[in-house]
Amino acid sequence: MTLTDPWMSGSEIRVMVGIGDYAIGNNPMSTIGLGSCVALVLHDESRASGGMAHIMLPCSQGRTDRPAKFADTAVEMLERELRLPGTRKRSLIAKLVGGACMFKTFNGNLNIGERNIEAVREQVRKRGIRNGGEEVGGSGGRSLTYYPAEGGRVLIRRADGTTSTL
Amino acid sequence: MMLTANQYDALRELGNIGAAHAATTLSQMLLSGIDMTVPEIQLLDIANIYQHVGDETSALIVFQIQGEVSNGGYILLHLPRASAIRLVNILLGNTDISAGAEMDTSAIIEIGNIMVSAFLDATAGLLNLVMLPSPPSFALDMPHAAIETILAQQNEDLNEVVLFRTELRSQDALITANLLLLPNPPMLRQILELLERLVGPT
Repeated sequence: MTLTDPWMSGSEIRVMVGIGDYAIGNNPMSTIGLGSCVALVLHDESRASGGMAHIMLPCSQGRTDRPAKFADTAVEMLERELRLPGTRKRSLIAKLVGGACMFKTFNGNLNIGERNIEAVREQVRKRGIRNGGEEVGGSGGRSLTYYPAEGGRVLIRRADGTTSTL
Repeated sequence: MMLTANQYDALRELGNIGAAHAATTLSQMLLSGIDMTVPEIQLLDIANIYQHVGDETSALIVFQIQGEVSNGGYILLHLPRASAIRLVNILLGNTDISAGAEMDTSAIIEIGNIMVSAFLDATAGLLNLVMLPSPPSFALDMPHAAIETILAQQNEDLNEVVLFRTELRSQDALITANLLLLPNPPMLRQILELLERLVGPT
């Protein structure tokens, strides 16, 4: 279990975004091993920068200590962090990755992955942010890297080794 | 959450005993010696788990820990994909151990069952309670994805986890396996109390 990965390593400066955490800026940002969590990318087209949150659960129920951990607080917080002078709301694009259902037997009736996807979508819609694409659901894990300076490209690698771009 | 040096030691010893029993079963299956690392016990912020658990596709056999313990703790057997394929092929006597060989899922789950049951039996015996593995779940997937999915089912306030990890290694067979134990906070408290009673006041 090491982090060495020829597909994602390189000389570039890459910010790692762990569970319940977030990052903003114009350097590439990565999240590895997304299961039921959802990675939300908000890309600002006008400034070639943006942010990523690694969202674990749909609802904060009033908790404020880790805004990126919950869908309802994460979208609001990322949007606020990115709203600098010169950012127009219309230039923000949202991309969603993750929300898999890995272990049906342990889940009971609550599919957290699915609920996370729905909650993030709802927040994005409510805030009038354009949905720029999704790679969500299914049963397998995903790793991704977001390149703010390259048009907001999001490169996704699945557990079976296949890749795709959003 | 804070753990004292004594608590770390006690947990490490508990993990050591469990892992030694699991290693014995693996050694009997492979008919080869198994090296075992001293269990790592780490108190990790959820945001830093990725520094310790990666995304290389691996065979993951996951069990919920049941019995006379607080529900919600998990134990995982993790085998890198190549190790899992090699292990199954050795046990089934297949001679074709080519890179493209398929993995026999039911066989790897059974290996997981045997090793994890041995781990839990030994630790439960020491703590003098009953711990049983749930029916297993299997995934050929990213370890970090499995762990975050398990953690998402815990309490919303969970921001730190205790991760036990022991690596087992067969030099002859080129097989590596990791046993990971993820007690949730109520189970951890219960285990610490039992250990304290066992060791006596310090």
